[in-house]
Amino acid sequence: MYAKLIFKNAKRSVKDYLIYIVTMTICVTLFYSFLAISSRYYKPDIGSEYNFTLLSDGMKAAVCIITLCLLFLIGFVNNYMLRCRQKEFAVQSIMGMEQKTVAWMFFAETLIMGILSIAAGVFLGMFCSQFITAMLLTAYGRSYEFSWNLFPDTVLLTVCFFVLSFFVIGIFNTRTIQKTKIIDMLYADRKNEPVLTKSRWILGVIILYELSAVLMLTAGIGKIWFYYDSRLAFPVRIMFWGNTVLPFATLLWSALRLLRKRKTGFYTLLPGLLIFSVLNAFTTASVPAFTNKYYLSWGAGTINQYLLFILIDLLFFICALISLTGSFIAAWKEKSPKHRYHGENLFFFGQIISKLNTTTKTMTLISITLVLSIFLFIAAPILVNWASGYLDIHSMYDIQISSRYNLVYEEEDLPRDDYQTVTDFLAECGMETAYDCTFHLYLPVREDFHNRMKYDFPVAAISLSDYNRIREMLGYEPVSLMENEFTTQWKTIATEEEQNSFLAEHDRVLTDAGELSLSVHSHYEEAIGETAYNTYTHVLYVFPDSVCRQLLPVMQNRYIITAETIPYPYALELEKAFTAEYPEQPTTGAAFSIRLSTLQINSTIAGNFILQSSMLYGAIVLMVICLTVLSLQQLSDAGQYRYRFSVLRKLGVEEQCIGKLILKQLGIWFGLPVITAIVISSVIISYFVRTISAQISAYIGLNALMLQMGATICILAVLLICYFISTWILFRNSIAQ
Amino acid sequence: MDTILKLEHIQKYYGSEGNITKAIQDISFSVEAGEFLSIMGASGSGKTTLLNCISTIDTVSAGHIYLKETDITEIKPKSLARFRRENLGFIFQDFNLLDTLTISENIALALAINKTPAGVIEPRISDIAKRLNILDILNKYPYQVSGGQKQRCACARAIINNPGLLLADEPTGALDSHSSQMLLSTIQSINEQLHATILMVTHDAFTASYASRILFLQDGKIFTELYKGSDNRNTFFNKILNVLTMIGGGQSHVC
Repeated sequence: MYAKLIFKNAKRSVKDYLIYIVTMTICVTLFYSFLAISSRYYKPDIGSEYNFTLLSDGMKAAVCIITLCLLFLIGFVNNYMLRCRQKEFAVQSIMGMEQKTVAWMFFAETLIMGILSIAAGVFLGMFCSQFITAMLLTAYGRSYEFSWNLFPDTVLLTVCFFVLSFFVIGIFNTRTIQKTKIIDMLYADRKNEPVLTKSRWILGVIILYELSAVLMLTAGIGKIWFYYDSRLAFPVRIMFWGNTVLPFATLLWSALRLLRKRKTGFYTLLPGLLIFSVLNAFTTASVPAFTNKYYLSWGAGTINQYLLFILIDLLFFICALISLTGSFIAAWKEKSPKHRYHGENLFFFGQIISKLNTTTKTMTLISITLVLSIFLFIAAPILVNWASGYLDIHSMYDIQISSRYNLVYEEEDLPRDDYQTVTDFLAECGMETAYDCTFHLYLPVREDFHNRMKYDFPVAAISLSDYNRIREMLGYEPVSLMENEFTTQWKTIATEEEQNSFLAEHDRVLTDAGELSLSVHSHYEEAIGETAYNTYTHVLYVFPDSVCRQLLPVMQNRYIITAETIPYPYALELEKAFTAEYPEQPTTGAAFSIRLSTLQINSTIAGNFILQSSMLYGAIVLMVICLTVLSLQQLSDAGQYRYRFSVLRKLGVEEQCIGKLILKQLGIWFGLPVITAIVISSVIISYFVRTISAQISAYIGLNALMLQMGATICILAVLLICYFISTWILFRNSIAQ
Repeated sequence: MDTILKLEHIQKYYGSEGNITKAIQDISFSVEAGEFLSIMGASGSGKTTLLNCISTIDTVSAGHIYLKETDITEIKPKSLARFRRENLGFIFQDFNLLDTLTISENIALALAINKTPAGVIEPRISDIAKRLNILDILNKYPYQVSGGQKQRCACARAIINNPGLLLADEPTGALDSHSSQMLLSTIQSINEQLHATILMVTHDAFTASYASRILFLQDGKIFTELYKGSDNRNTFFNKILNVLTMIGGGQSHVC
């Protein structure tokens, strides 16, 4: 009998369970499609020179960690269903059914719906995993073909994960139903709004912010004590004082305000602290920004400390802004009778203020999660392209051997080696070389050998013939120089300003072989790899061969391009053999390193792919969680809303006006957290982009970045519109007459 | 006196062919301006259906209802909401107040919906609040005040727009006897001092005794009507009980 009732209930309430089924299906689809590539049976054709195990293990770990967030969503949706069905449970209990039975019946129903969702999710996941495979094969530069594959181990893992989570959440729900009083379930939808009081958590937020102001003040005083110098540039001095004075002003203002308004207490601090948090954010954000620009000498610890302060400032800003929105609207309502008494505005204000006051915490959490999600969406492609652009420039040669003299203090210890081990190894493996170039890098002035000042490191020079051989290897045109002339070669990361100012100051260079003047063609920017430059410099001099013969050679490099790509196992072996012969810390101080493009491409692509897919997966999961919670928050109050809108109808308000009111209400409900998140994340992203602008222009390109941002914004907009429209339709249906 | 409401041969049927329930069968009566009319009857006698038809919430199967010369059975559905807010005031058994608004805002909402200029709203609210003795609770929320106060607020909201007709559906149904008495005195004073026309549906003889005329419904028809005339309320109350006994409800209808 009960089984029949369960099936009948499930069949009848499919419509009620729509939100549940859709949410669960999305969760299962995401889980399956991202996990599919870690399957044992997944054998994409990425080429024999690459190793796939690194990727699949990393992927499995990333997906499982992010999926823990989904548990929260499953719990939330279950709780929503529970509230929707409460009255029914009460009636069943009154009729004499034991509450335990009622609870188990609800669990069985959700399980049936859950299993349906798993089936639908796995089916959709098969489609979606194709996108992921396409993404993977594109990353490895392979062509892609559509294939239908169902991986038994992934299906098993998906089913196990979700059924287990249903059981865990089901047990909690069963306990809730058993413990709730029948009377409470019966009148659940008729309950009044809770008394409108400010939630206590904002008090905690204020206290935490005051504590962080104390930390900022001590950090600011410490920085002035240890690093301040009146010769520093004016903006840097402002930064130093700003980071001390503003936190002090924050604390002083709070103390004075508290003394003056002892009765009203901490809440009155909020608007002022909101303004201080914006000012503090500016001064703290200037610390990491100025560090690179003005070569400030503090370490990564200080930058991390100030990044933490920026984070605290932003989080406090979101908390304070959302918590004050209700008060802003209430104040606006009080101040402007014209707006207050215009049409149905009174009703609208009432709806918004009561809801905002009771759900500030949820709204704030949603805003913060949305910021994180948007940031992940936009930062994922930037970071991935940065890494792959970096890879392109770094792995220009199949074998790249470089040396450094930074720790060498005697001229006889300088690296001089033609790396015969590599030649022997290649001959042993029967691998032919297409190009092979061993060359020296020289110091223009011998005395500079002992100059190890980080910011005044000498620029190295290369002979014209070696430079042209490298250019030939990479397919560039050779260059020529007149006697007593020189030219320059630049790293990709160097900015145009840097180039211009350097060339203006160095139109003549004094060398041990006489003075050279800058050639008409003063600079070349084609990438030749990052190891051809001296440490801490972005430029390389190109001198005539006759000049170089008289200079001190300080480094010896060797670049090889093989006839065929070196297979993965050979590459590993070569790296091992090289490291054995040239240890990382030799006694002479000369450092050698080898870069094999096979190994670099493999680890970078795998790492990139894990980074990109886990960031995107995380972003989608967080976005879905936020939007579902926003939508369900509105729909779960449908009982109250139905009553309120029926009162409006009785007072003679037209359906058209009611439709507008609903749209306005949902607009605010979705708009407030979404707009807050968009504003905050665009501030964060523009700061992030500015900080790494050199890398972006070197490895990604502004157009590609804009294209990616545009695509991301479109995806977000589509997701938001879908959720908004479906909530709007369901809301309208739930309050219909 | 002018006739403000006129019902002509109203009929209301529910159900489809072969299974028709006749909720109202050919009812005709009229209400004069400033009159306090009560409609009484047992459960299922059709009194709430009749009120719903007059309040335009429900439609009639046959007949015409005229409110100040306007045939409300002919009004297009789109214009009904406007007609309701301009001509009718409602008091419901369960108050129908909004928890998100204060008492004052609940009253103001009715004015705002009717596009009253913002400047005159607050003076009108304090004026009506003084009359109904709810001045000191204006800034409280509905969940902070008693049932009687809530119903007086609902009263204020219903009459603030000076409606042509005030409809009350079991207004004392959710109140204790003391609050009921206070509310009924209020409604009576609204009728006497503001000359509001009131149509009240109730099954309670005590409540009905505050009216100046009572229509008794039985099985969808008017069974009889009773005028208060110069009687005092006790005499009128006894007469009502006699009619109820005749109908068959007897003492069971006395609360």
